Amino acid sequence: MLTITSEKENKHDILKLNGEIDASNSVILDEAIQKLAANGSKSILVDGEHLQYISSAGLGVFMSYLEDFQEKEIQLKIFGLSARVYEVFKILGLDQLISIYPTKVEAILD
Amino acid sequence: MIKLPKIHIGKLSLLLAILVWLALLFVDLVKLFAQINGLDQSITSEFSWVLQILFFLMVYGFYKYSIAKNIQNDFLSLIWRGASTSIFAVSVVTLIKVFYSLLGDSRLANEPFLISFFQHVSFALIIIFLISTAILWQHLILYQKNKRVVKQWQAYEIAMLIGMFYTFINEGELGAGYLFMLVLLCGLALILSGNLKWIPYLTFKEKWKSLLFLAVIIIFGTYLFWSESFITSEGGLTNNLFIITLYFFIISYALFSFLVTLFNLPTSSVFEQKLTEAINFQRLSQSIQPGENEDQVLDILLDSCMSAAYADAAWLEMNSEEYPENFTMERFATHQTILELSKLIETQKVTHDWSGKGKPEEIQPLIIRVDHPNFESILLIPLVINKQLIGRMVLCKEVRDGFNKEMVNIISTFVRQACISVENHRLLNQAIENERYREELKIAKNVQKSLLPTQLDHNEQFEIVAYSNAADEVGGDYYDTYKIDEHHYVLIIGDVSGKGTSAAFNMSQMKGIFQSLIQLDLSPSEFMIKANAALGRCLERNHFITASIFYINTSENTVCHARAGHVPTLFYTSKDDKSTYLEIDGLGLGILRNKQYEMHVEEKTFSYSPDDVLVLYTDGIIEAKDEESNQFGFERLRSLLEINNELSPSQLQSKIIDSLHSFVGGDGMVDDDYSLMVVKFIHSGKKD
Repeated sequence: MLTITSEKENKHDILKLNGEIDASNSVILDEAIQKLAANGSKSILVDGEHLQYISSAGLGVFMSYLEDFQEKEIQLKIFGLSARVYEVFKILGLDQLISIYPTKVEAILD
Repeated sequence: MIKLPKIHIGKLSLLLAILVWLALLFVDLVKLFAQINGLDQSITSEFSWVLQILFFLMVYGFYKYSIAKNIQNDFLSLIWRGASTSIFAVSVVTLIKVFYSLLGDSRLANEPFLISFFQHVSFALIIIFLISTAILWQHLILYQKNKRVVKQWQAYEIAMLIGMFYTFINEGELGAGYLFMLVLLCGLALILSGNLKWIPYLTFKEKWKSLLFLAVIIIFGTYLFWSESFITSEGGLTNNLFIITLYFFIISYALFSFLVTLFNLPTSSVFEQKLTEAINFQRLSQSIQPGENEDQVLDILLDSCMSAAYADAAWLEMNSEEYPENFTMERFATHQTILELSKLIETQKVTHDWSGKGKPEEIQPLIIRVDHPNFESILLIPLVINKQLIGRMVLCKEVRDGFNKEMVNIISTFVRQACISVENHRLLNQAIENERYREELKIAKNVQKSLLPTQLDHNEQFEIVAYSNAADEVGGDYYDTYKIDEHHYVLIIGDVSGKGTSAAFNMSQMKGIFQSLIQLDLSPSEFMIKANAALGRCLERNHFITASIFYINTSENTVCHARAGHVPTLFYTSKDDKSTYLEIDGLGLGILRNKQYEMHVEEKTFSYSPDDVLVLYTDGIIEAKDEESNQFGFERLRSLLEINNELSPSQLQSKIIDSLHSFVGGDGMVDDDYSLMVVKFIHSGKKD
């Protein structure tokens, strides 16, 4: 199960992920990010505090926007990941490519 | 009884009938001759009675046979046969009369032998008419027969047979017995005349025809009766109980049929309608045969509904994905009219409420009034298949309020039945399709299995086992080995993102890349860089592959390795009696599809000693969950190896798989692909 809520805070769009992301629902995450990018958002903050699990398909979604966002100068930051979920990003090496922060404040300040 | 060959029965009885008739004529003429010449009456009248009865039976035999052979349950042709016989008989009798009226008072006119001859001719004709018609009536009476009617008919036949021989008892005299028999036979005939079940099955037109034919039978039959009594004025033939009662039966049944048919005329269209509806319903409920398509059912549906509602125009609108854009089927409505009416329908508020509300299966048919020059009332019926609205049927009538409750009910039933037929058809097709997919997947599974090595390359200095399990039919895990030379071996393990078929395709690409690049004598990190570059061109943008590669040098006792986003490999060192995860950085393959990748991959080398164990695996093991959503995790795997380090590789492998299964619990399945490769170093190399 995955629910995504999106809210705007100043210039930042915050995507709150709640639940688990796997092959069956990764498309929901993809659509949510795509929608924000299409609406002209320049800073997307992903709130992973309530993200319990992410599968390779979910990681694939974040990965697929790397180059695209770099070109369009859209910032994608993730914060609040649990240790377990962060480990998954780290093993794959995505922590080197995506900015991941412990808290929202740090994500905004950086 | 003697069994005669079947084909001869008709001809035989016909021949016999003619012979008997000639004999009867001869006997009667001889009698007449004797009477005129005052000779001794040596021939009794019993003799001609016997011949008469024989004649009856022969005619009966002939017609019984010939009608049974030609009958096709076509009521109209049956009645026509009776009518035509009567016409023939009447015309012959009339010809005789005309002949006599032409003769006037000449001597020939009073010639007793000629009169007797003509009497016998008309007698034969009347008998033929009566008996053949009686047999026709039998077929009509016994239509949709039940036991009771069959019994009645048999009783009547027996009574008639007795009546035939009754002449011998009463000897041409009237009496109480004669009257009793007369009443009994007429009563039976009346009872039988009540069996008229065939009439409702005639169409309106057929009813008119049958009225005509029946009228012919009644009028000509009665005429025959009178003229016969005219010709045989001295009695003899009319006195025969059999002939009189048979007459009564023929005429009464014809009269009953005539009246009932006449009174059935006004309601016959209703009966026809119901019959058509029943037939249509049956056609709709027949499942669609393989090779046919749903359009045929919709075609029948549209026609059936139109005839049930006496609609003047109709069309079907399909709006589901299965049909090309706004598929329609039209009846008596031009494209222009449909457009006009659709517009009128859409403007009605009720239509909006109707199609917009609630579940599709709860939508009721809707009757609306429209202001259109040609049509004034419209009925909308939803077509719901598998709880989905796939379209609607529109019936139009020229009159206002043209649809009543009965029509809506029957149409709803038609629509439901048609939708069920279509649904069943689809389900059947789906089942066949699914079966084919299953077969295809089975093939895919076998192909994929063959992509994983059955023989793992190694020498006597290390043992190796491997195992892979896919969550679905096919999976995205990959492992392989390669022997560079006696002392150099390469192991690889990989995991394709995603699951199932797409993962399986990418896994086979990985195999191709490994088997090609490994020939090029690359270092582990060079291998990853080249593999990344190749996969960058092969994988979809949101797919990636993780892998770990190990170059084992058994002469140096070293392992050089690189990791590309893959779960860290577990290593047990016997020296420290400890198992740890190898720490090395590296980004998954296909994530960065440019030169930058080179900065994200490392290469490390370590030495091993005997009894060290290397465990390569995929994340399916780590991420396997128990009933409370706890992960199997890194620590559980690490300590498992540490505790069981003395086991042989295959034992260790079983141990890990067993604990994984017992962790997941009961009959729970591991929800991801998982693979495992266990390497145990045995002897040290030259340096040792």
